[in-house]
Formats: sequence, C-alpha cells, structure tokens
Amino acid sequence: MGFIGLWGAWILRAGVGFSALFVTLAYWKSGEALEEASKSLTLRPDYRYVATHVLALGAFAALSWTIYGDRVGSIALPFWIGAWFCAAAFAIFALIPARVCAHLIRITGWTWAYSLPAAAAACLLGIYSQSFWHPLARVTFALVKVLLEPFVPIVADPSTLTIGTDRFYVQIADQCSGFEGAGLMLAFGLTSLWLFRKECRFPRAFLLIPCGIAALFVLNAMRIAALLMLGNAGADRIAAGGFHSVAGWITFTGVALGFTVAAVRISWFRSRESTFEETATAENPTATYLLPFVGILAAGITAQAASADFEWLHPIRFLAAAGILWMHRKKFAQIDWQFSWFGPAVGAGIFVIWIAADRLLANGSSHAMPHALADAPQGVRALWIFIRALAAVTTVPIAEELAFRGFLIRRMISSNFEAVPFHKFTWLGLGVSSVAFGLLHGNLWFAGILAGLAYAWAMLRRGRIGEAVSAHATTNLLVAMYILLFHQWHLW
Amino acid sequence: MKITFGFLLLLAGGSMFAMAGVGVSAPEIGSGSAGSAVALLAGALLIVRGSRKK
Repeated sequence: MGFIGLWGAWILRAGVGFSALFVTLAYWKSGEALEEASKSLTLRPDYRYVATHVLALGAFAALSWTIYGDRVGSIALPFWIGAWFCAAAFAIFALIPARVCAHLIRITGWTWAYSLPAAAAACLLGIYSQSFWHPLARVTFALVKVLLEPFVPIVADPSTLTIGTDRFYVQIADQCSGFEGAGLMLAFGLTSLWLFRKECRFPRAFLLIPCGIAALFVLNAMRIAALLMLGNAGADRIAAGGFHSVAGWITFTGVALGFTVAAVRISWFRSRESTFEETATAENPTATYLLPFVGILAAGITAQAASADFEWLHPIRFLAAAGILWMHRKKFAQIDWQFSWFGPAVGAGIFVIWIAADRLLANGSSHAMPHALADAPQGVRALWIFIRALAAVTTVPIAEELAFRGFLIRRMISSNFEAVPFHKFTWLGLGVSSVAFGLLHGNLWFAGILAGLAYAWAMLRRGRIGEAVSAHATTNLLVAMYILLFHQWHLW
Repeated sequence: MKITFGFLLLLAGGSMFAMAGVGVSAPEIGSGSAGSAVALLAGALLIVRGSRKK
C-alpha cells in the first residue's frame, strides 16, 4: 500500500495523460485512416471476451480488497495492475476484435512511443513545479494584504504566511498560491486555441493566455480576501466550509468562459475566416437543451459556496431549473414528452441497482439526518425536504435527460442535432453520454454509467425522450421514498 | 468538434479521478466536486459555441 499511497495518484494521472495525448494525436495524425478502418466494425459483442472480462474484473476486485485491507503485502501489486489491464483489454476485445485493435494501433504508427514519454514528462514537470508553490504563496500573501488593508485592521505574519483580523485568520498554504489555477489556465488556453485555431488570429490570440493566468492569480487573492472578510463578519463556518471549497472553481470557470468569449467575440482576436455567428442574429438550440442542466450546476455551486456544513440553499437549484424551463416552455412544448410503462419500469430497475451498489460500497458514512436539518423548526425542515424531493422528481430528470440523452447523443451524430430523431444513435455517442453522466455521480460512477445506458435505452426504444425522463424520475422518486422511510440520508 | 467533446470529457473524467471528488449517492449530480465544475464549464462552452444563423 505504501507504493500506491505515494505514487498511485501520479500513475493514474500519467495514464489519463497518455490516453488523452494518444487519442488526440492519433486522431490528428491518422484520423481519416482510422475512420475508414473502423467503418467495418459491427460492435457485436464477443461473449467469450465478456466472460473473461468479468473474471478479470472479479480478480481485480478481490485483489483490491486484499491490498486496501492490508491483508497482503506489495507482492500482490503486479497481479493487481495485471488484472486491471486484462479487464480493460478484454472489455475492448469484447466489442473490437484483437486483430482489428492491432490494425488500428498499427495505423497510428509511433504515436504511442512519443505519447508515453510526453505524459511521463508532464507528470515529472508537475512534481518539479511544486517547488514554485511556496514563492508564489508569498506573492499571494502580499497581494491579499494589499487588498484587505483599506478595509479592516490586518494581523499578518510573513514568516508563517498567516493573515487575517483578530477575529478570523487563515494561513496561506502552498496549495493556495494560485499556481495550480495558473497551470489549469495554461492547459485550457493552449487546448482551446489549438482546437479553434482556424477562428483565431495569431500570434495576437496567444495574449489571451497570460491575461487569463494573470486574471486568475489576482482573482485567487481576491477569493482569499473575500474569505477573510466573510469570516471576520461572523460567517466563519461558511468561509472555511463551502466558500473555501468551491470559490476557486467558480473563478476558474468564469475566467475560462471569459477566455472563450473573448477569443470568439472580440474582433481583434478573431480571424477573418471565422464562421462563428453572433448570437444577436442567431438561434441557439444548444442553449435550449443545456441551459436547464447548466443552471442547476451553477445554482448548486453558488449554494455550496454560501453553505457551512449543510446546504440550506439547495432549493435554488430547483428555482433556477424551473425558471429556465419556464422561459423556454414554447420550445419544450414541441418535444414529445409522452411515456409508456417501459420508462418507469426501467427506472425501478435502476433504483434496485443503485441501492445494491450503495450497499456494496458501504463506507461507514453516517445515515442519519444531517444535524442542521434535524435541529431546524419542523416547518423549515418539511419545506426543505419537500423542495428537495420535488426537484429530484421534476426538474433534475428533465434537465439531465435533455442534456445527456436529448443533446449529447444526437450531437455526436450531427451538428444539426435537432434534425436527428430521438431513436437514432451511435455506439460512441451512447458510450460517451453514459460515461459522462456516470462520472458526475461521485463514488457511484459505475452505477451512474449503467443508469445512463438504461435511460438511453428507454428513449431509443420508442424514440421519445419522455421515456428517459419518466425512467429517471421514477428512480429519483423511489430513492427519495427510500431515504425518508428508511433514514438513509447519505443518499442525498 | 468530436475532439472538443473528447477533451472536455477526458478532462472531466481525469479531474474526477485525480482529485478524488466527494461521493454523491443519488442519481443527482452534486456540485461539490471538481468534475461538476468542469461539467459546468463544458456546458457553458457548448452553449457559447452553439449559435447558428437563423
């Protein structure tokens, strides 16, 4: 376990980096040849490999149990890694024959050979860059001091980087230096400029990157200053809790969005060949399908930033989604929301799988009602629970199905996704939408992927998104009832 | 555009695993994780780039 504890995260990052680099460079270098070679694929499952995949997965699970329980020493490590690779390989071979995989890899040539060291170099650079954190933390400390001094009497200790007032103070750790945000902005900026290079005017578009990094660095200092002001005003639990956790992500999201908008909207950065249309004279069907979901996420992050240990403002997610759905009601009225018995039946099945997965992963977390909710006046408690359940059964299924099944599956087929019937799909679109849906459900990501596949199946079978919405709503309704009847509050 | 999707989703997936986000045990997405912030960014970017002429 010592090796996994020390290097596990970096090995995983190197793996993710290699996968991203290999796929991107392979598609860039040999995209046409790969698409031509993959046209003959039928993706009919080979059940022999499905069986061996299940066996390998079982071995991986058993070895994980022994390794993480410290029952066996590091001697099991090579077998654990081997079982993981076998499970992954057999899963791929179950759909794509091994000889076809080999042919596809041969088409990519030496792409793997320079993706591997590039990913390893990126990780080594990441480890080395940590030496910059402390010097930058000192700069952030100085900036926070400058921002706060005009407003409150400051107590600051440069030797420990502790700063605040006599009521509330923080220590600016190396991780709060703003360096990670700068790295994220650099990666996002370079990727964005490369992907949309035909729409940008170079070299002037490169200026957006240092502007973005500088903006993020300053906003990081402002975030810390705001945190101190919150704590000094008496909201120390909110400052140290939700605000501290998500304010950084809020600023990164805002700056990244600003970067993209500037690149396409400011004519000085835009190339003459750009085909991006101004929204003032254009319609945006993507917005119709994604805004309810984006609204829930934005409201959720805002609610969490204003929360201590309990998210009292959770209901604003419902209000945000309901408001957006109401604004676009004429557009949504054109969609077929009808459903049969099949949708709810699928939803009930997913509920069983969800509870089973939760039981399997029982991690000792408390099942009791959160203290803040239990101690609240009865009327307030009842209202919070009612809106929580109402959102789970109404706005959440509608918003998420519109985004993942209504938009993403069809968008993977055509840019004019509204013209794609709801019963059409590609295996890639189905896989991508289900994995994306699953990944956003925390430790129950695998059950989330299964749920995504099941809800998509409900929609594709009858060609109506109403089937997927009814399935999702049924699952959420049953989960809500399970929580309230059996006091399983960790599920919310 | 497929590459864009791939990148955004890989970014979301990678961030989820690399940062070991907090578990959410219901089919509703919790906003406390880095993956949710990345999903928010991805959705907003798709909306910004989703305009087309009438």
